[in-house]
Amino acid sequence: MTTGVLRLGRHTFSDDATLMMAIVNRTPDSFFDKGATWEEDKAFERVAQVVAEGAEIVDIGGIKAAPGVEIGEEEEKARVVDFVSRVREAFPSLVISVDTWRASVGDAVCAAGADVLNDAWGGADRELVDVAAAHDVAIVCTHTGGVTPRTRPYRIEYDDVVHEAVRDTVAYAERAVAAGVARESVVIDPAHDFGKNTFHSLELTRRLGEMVDTGWPVLVSLSNKDFVGESLDLPVGERLTGTLAATAVCALAGARIYRVHQVVETRQTVDMVNTIAGRRLPRRAIRGLQ
Amino acid sequence: MTRVVVVPGVLALLPEYAGIEDPVAELRTACLEAVGWLGADVRTFGDRQGSRVARHLLDATSRSGDEPSYLVVGNGSAKRTEKAPGHYDERAEAFDAELGAALRAGRAVREGSLARELWASVGAFAVLAELGVPDEVQVDYDDAPYGVQYWVMRLSIEDRR
Repeated sequence: MTTGVLRLGRHTFSDDATLMMAIVNRTPDSFFDKGATWEEDKAFERVAQVVAEGAEIVDIGGIKAAPGVEIGEEEEKARVVDFVSRVREAFPSLVISVDTWRASVGDAVCAAGADVLNDAWGGADRELVDVAAAHDVAIVCTHTGGVTPRTRPYRIEYDDVVHEAVRDTVAYAERAVAAGVARESVVIDPAHDFGKNTFHSLELTRRLGEMVDTGWPVLVSLSNKDFVGESLDLPVGERLTGTLAATAVCALAGARIYRVHQVVETRQTVDMVNTIAGRRLPRRAIRGLQ
Repeated sequence: MTRVVVVPGVLALLPEYAGIEDPVAELRTACLEAVGWLGADVRTFGDRQGSRVARHLLDATSRSGDEPSYLVVGNGSAKRTEKAPGHYDERAEAFDAELGAALRAGRAVREGSLARELWASVGAFAVLAELGVPDEVQVDYDDAPYGVQYWVMRLSIEDRR
């Protein structure tokens, strides 16, 4: 299915690399940071910080996922395009992903230097794959159950949420390849909490191995989400431990990319799990071996 | 000229215990350079774990020449510091100093009760006295980075027959 390497625009990674994708919101109202990086300079500081913390990828978004004031294409472009240019120039070895479902925005950010189009809304704009192909960038194919962007799930049920997530993301991936996106540049994402209740997201976590078994590299976006909050009855801001537990389960199953707010903690969790799993060597082992 | 190399039986030298970073990089370099100085055919002396270390070092080096060659695996005490495997023993430093001098001089080293108490691996060193007094000694490594005394030495012994 995959080709052994993962190519994200200008950047190529080996097939056993795990990658931290740090969230950078150019929004005034996203759920976790609540506008902390709304100002461009604050967002740039956030990029510099996550790079220093070891993130391989930044995921820049101009529209919060939850419902709210409608943000048109021009406003979305105004929030992200010039910012992508600035980050591209300052951090040439950083992978730049942009969280957008709109083909027109995707086209503009790719021209500005983006490497990945992270379509969190499951192919709502069918021309996004053509943009990814035209610019030879990567695309993240998510499962949302077909909901409209920026809507909350309401009484959505699945016969088998994992089966449907596998079916839909693989179909999206094949559609991207058919449109001309390089096979080694396609990533799938079950999209926890998107078009899903907490039970759905828990089941996807528990059975993530079924997505990994498709052979497409799997991205997980778990960070501080409601399925963690509802599982532990904790508000945003107190969900790190639960997020890391979910991260560990996904890492053991073989997830490759982790979209996160907290880079350092997630990197340590993923490295520890992969070391336990025998996929990564200990950093430095001397105890009892002197 | 007989060539003898002394290396410590450090399990961290084995590939099955490799990490991303090498905690004994300097020691490893010294071991490989010294073992590479030996001839093609090498007799090894060491306990079971020491023999594994010797086998690995021999496999990791390419050697030539027909000089009689010996690889002897052993090390000093494992009680040099508070964090040493055997914890700190105030007798360890003097013991190691004397042992190091004996190795350089080709004097007999026997496995006595003090060596056992200090967790020193000296069993294989008995062969050194049988091989003769070295005419030249090169000490490539002499340190106790993890509370265990390591030496890497090259001993050259003239054939006096």
